Amino acid sequence: MIGPAATIALVARREITTQVRSRTFLVGLALMLVVFGGYGAVFAFVGAQTSESSLVLQGPAGELRQDLQAAGDRQGFVLRLTEAGDRATGESMVRSGEADAMLTGAPGSYQLVGRDDVGGALRALVTEVVEQRAVSDALTAAGADPAQITERSAVGVRTLEPQDAERGQRVVIALAVTLLLFFSVTAYGAAVSQGVVEEKSSRVVELLLATVAPGHLLAGKVLGLGLVGLLQLVVLGGIGTAVALATGVLAVPALLLGMLPTVIAWYLVGFFLFATLYAAAGALVSRQEELQSVTAPIAVPLLLPFLLAVAILPTDPRNPVATVLSFVPFFSQTLMPARTALGVTAWWEPLVALLIALAALAGMVALAARVYRNSILRTGARVSWREALRVTPGRS
Amino acid sequence: MGANPCSVAAVLAIDGLAKRFGTATALQDVTFVVRPGELFGFVGGNGAGKTTTMRIVLGVLEPDAGSVSWQGSPVDAAMRRRIGYLPEERGLYPKMRVTEQLVYLGRLHGVRRAAAIAAADRWTDRLGLAARRGDEVQKLSLGNQQRVQLCAALVHDPDLLVLDEPFSGLDPTAVDTMSDVLREQAATGTPVIFSSHQLELVERLCDRVGIISAGRMVAVGSVEELRSAGGDRYDVVGPPPGWADRLPGVTVLDTTGDRTRVELATGADDQDLLAAALAAGPVRAFGPYRPPLTELYRDAVADRVPGGATE
Repeated sequence: MIGPAATIALVARREITTQVRSRTFLVGLALMLVVFGGYGAVFAFVGAQTSESSLVLQGPAGELRQDLQAAGDRQGFVLRLTEAGDRATGESMVRSGEADAMLTGAPGSYQLVGRDDVGGALRALVTEVVEQRAVSDALTAAGADPAQITERSAVGVRTLEPQDAERGQRVVIALAVTLLLFFSVTAYGAAVSQGVVEEKSSRVVELLLATVAPGHLLAGKVLGLGLVGLLQLVVLGGIGTAVALATGVLAVPALLLGMLPTVIAWYLVGFFLFATLYAAAGALVSRQEELQSVTAPIAVPLLLPFLLAVAILPTDPRNPVATVLSFVPFFSQTLMPARTALGVTAWWEPLVALLIALAALAGMVALAARVYRNSILRTGARVSWREALRVTPGRS
Repeated sequence: MGANPCSVAAVLAIDGLAKRFGTATALQDVTFVVRPGELFGFVGGNGAGKTTTMRIVLGVLEPDAGSVSWQGSPVDAAMRRRIGYLPEERGLYPKMRVTEQLVYLGRLHGVRRAAAIAAADRWTDRLGLAARRGDEVQKLSLGNQQRVQLCAALVHDPDLLVLDEPFSGLDPTAVDTMSDVLREQAATGTPVIFSSHQLELVERLCDRVGIISAGRMVAVGSVEELRSAGGDRYDVVGPPPGWADRLPGVTVLDTTGDRTRVELATGADDQDLLAAALAAGPVRAFGPYRPPLTELYRDAVADRVPGGATE
């Protein structure tokens, strides 16, 4: 005889072998590597771009050269300065892209010439230097010593907590973790709904339900696909870690390895939370073509925390909205590990968020199982959520 | 158990099943039994309730009332694993290979891996699929997919076979193979219940037949029993049409040329009928008429068999 655990294991094993053997698994893995590599490359490229500007000085503006260079150095702004003999030469340099802008004119009539725009950082730098020069000229004219003024206006910076030297690395890790979790949950959540519809559209589900309870079938499917997703996550995470350490992008293995259990725990919670939703949605329709319309709304709670984590947290790790949402189920699986990676969580925060998420998961499993049972054998027209959620007496 | 007179040595007893879908009544007091080693034909029009009944036996649907029992106890999950099922809506994993699929389904029914592989080999061999074992199901012709589907119903050596329209879509050779397999299974003591619209086939193959119409069982029994449930029928050739119209205890069923088909009321004497015929004109042929299942079915559905359920 065969018990529920053995049945669930059988169903899960079929899902695993089918997935791992399929081309989609390998293609998916390759695709994720490309996305990751691409993301990293874009990140590095954008980072490299913003830090360098070139400026052409023309005419009397040339006398600002030293001040501009000094101000640029002070602000960690790589500034390449050249001089042009006349306006036309300078303009053609800007037009051709050889220089980002040209500074021309004399005190009182300075003009910053760009092709169709002048970058905000460059504009601010030039404005500041011109302003300073005007002020120090006025001070000198009034008989004061500008150097003394500068000395008196120095402001020292001190932090109450030690400054995190690894902040930059933490941001990279947080982004990678967020991305990895988002893609794993999305890909394997979608695989769950596709698997459910496949069984429904091929009608094999009736044969299965004649010997397997719907709850066991659902559990085996979700478990199997979840483990395949975990396998992919570990493979990708491993490759990413190895590459990052080998190329010297990241220099703190302890920080990276410390994140691994957190990532796995949150992947499992996030995956099962969304997988139940995906399975319920899949059971409502009878054909793959209809699947998109029922699973699209699920993408919203999946995408929102991802965007928050990517757009807000790196620059503002203590953002209050993100902090609150990192305890809310459906948001926590992305936001909490991102905050943990940034090093702004107390030890108890992930645990509390995890417990809340697990409670939500228990509720979701019960709801999804009901929807699945109520809809799985109904072929033809799409079943509405209301019908699917109705309590019906029947075997589990 | 139900008040069915045939409940001797029943293994599968279906008792008082009722099922409604919304406002539509799908089944109402469906009661019949299937005996060990019996081939039971389940016939009825489209939407009469055959599939619903079978789904309830398999536990895929819950009845609103009534019960299904096996050897005297209600059918539970463990017993359901011992049933071989061929659903009306055929279904297999399209991308799984034949043997793989059969082994998986066998294991879900509780068969050990080695035994499941052996059974899959045996049945694919028996049904002429030996060369296709490594193929994905979606690459097979519909007829071959149907054979795999039958293998799937047999792979766990079931104690009961429930087959919904097993003959539909089969070519004549496959119909013969299917018939042989069903007979063999019944011969080993496994009761087989199957539905079909091919009534000649059912008549030839089945030990007993159940006729369902609009969710009610209208007749259950061997074809012979169904025949005798109505009055005796006779074909009389010779006398001019209309000769029997007013005879007491005689109902004219059909008149074709000079052949008149009549049914005698219980207790009426066939010799009186012959005498009346001779009085009306020369009689060239006189004899009992044995209606085929097709006709019995038509009558039963029209609620004319006295043994059938009535309102």
